[in-house]
Amino acid sequence: MPAVDAQPGPFSFDLDSTALVVIDMQRDFLLPGGFGESLGNDVSQLRRTIEPLAALMAAWRAAGLPLIHTREGHKPDLSDCPPAKLNRGAPSMRIGDPGTFGRILIQGEYGHDIVDELQPIEGETVIDKPGKGAFYATELSDILEKDGIKSLVVTGVTTEVCVHTTVREANDRGYECLVLADCVGSYFPEFQQVGLKMIAAQGGIFGWVAESPSVIAAIQE
Amino acid sequence: MTAMIGPVTANPYRWPYDGSVPVSKTALICIDWQVDFCGKGGYVDSMGYDIELTRAGLPATAKLLDHVRGLGMLVIHTREGHDPDLSDLPPNKRWRSAQIGAEIGADGPCGRILVRGEPGWEIVPEVAPVAGEVIVDKPGKGAFYATNLDLVLRTHGITHIILTGITTDVCVHTTMREANDRGYECLILSDCTGATDPSNHTAALHMVTMQGGVFGCVSTSDDVIAATSEPSNRPAHHPQAD
Repeated sequence: MPAVDAQPGPFSFDLDSTALVVIDMQRDFLLPGGFGESLGNDVSQLRRTIEPLAALMAAWRAAGLPLIHTREGHKPDLSDCPPAKLNRGAPSMRIGDPGTFGRILIQGEYGHDIVDELQPIEGETVIDKPGKGAFYATELSDILEKDGIKSLVVTGVTTEVCVHTTVREANDRGYECLVLADCVGSYFPEFQQVGLKMIAAQGGIFGWVAESPSVIAAIQE
Repeated sequence: MTAMIGPVTANPYRWPYDGSVPVSKTALICIDWQVDFCGKGGYVDSMGYDIELTRAGLPATAKLLDHVRGLGMLVIHTREGHDPDLSDLPPNKRWRSAQIGAEIGADGPCGRILVRGEPGWEIVPEVAPVAGEVIVDKPGKGAFYATNLDLVLRTHGITHIILTGITTDVCVHTTMREANDRGYECLILSDCTGATDPSNHTAALHMVTMQGGVFGCVSTSDDVIAATSEPSNRPAHHPQAD
């Protein structure tokens, strides 16, 4: 059974029951000129994850292991967007407004899709989610159960929002989560650091934290 | 007419987003004020953490409870714990608790750790439920997963949630995230929460306020109390307080 050095202790996983989850690596969040940047965020904080993640995904695919992508977004008629999410804080740009890459966070728009470097390939699962967590109001639980998945290697953006929410949901459901520090990103360095710290606190209250090269080495052994 | 709540002085916007809300559509959720998390000899104490940090929010929460009970607001208490046979305890959660010397289900000074029905699992007297209040027993950190909380909230017509409890970064945050994804408008109270690591308490509150309130808003119990009024002494849309 492969094992990697991690916080708060070694993380071992079975290749037959582990999936790689890539959260919300969408153009709206990552591309210069997109929605994320228009809110005043520094997208380079997220873009540094693309290269290590591409390497990890290549190794994961080469090993023939399951890979799941998620995308946050809403239906064009916004029927699945709670009013509180749409209107709170009187934002200058709202979900559904026209943006540089189409209507912001709307399914089917260019900006809603995954960045070119990390596009899903045939046979990989793509989960469309209306919230921050990938379990609520999606088919993710059913897919993991059907495929006998017990452990998740979690990557994507942003660390303290969608990655954290999904890891918390997964942890309550009994999945073992390994979060890869170099493959998750936050617009805010402070939250990147504390977000990772919270996962491994109290003996790993939400899971484990490691770096992607050790996972690549473990699956290539 | 019912009493109203809001706008409450809060960060990053005056809560709620829709100006004000009838108390009848608002719930106060008190998360895991259990002996195991803030009592002597409980789980958190057994792990070696300072329980004064998790007890810090008790006086303000007790005062707020007194206030909202007078208004007739729905009060919901949650308790984290597992069946005595541990059939609802994921193996990794058990393993990790054992690694840090406080295995769930093992005997401790307050009975079996985090097991339903044991003294350590009870809510501490300062904020104990009164007759008619809802209690939700949850096996995880979040109060929505594997519980009837969403059904209880929808049955009562609740759209807005005020959160107190422990710990800020773990169970309170997980529940707030779940509630937020489900469309509830959430307010977390900085003086009615607490964490085993003070820096995690601060960071968790700060996270809520980013990006226009990604999970809702942060305020204090005094600000909530000040922004609650009977219709008779308050003109519409012009709160006297704050």
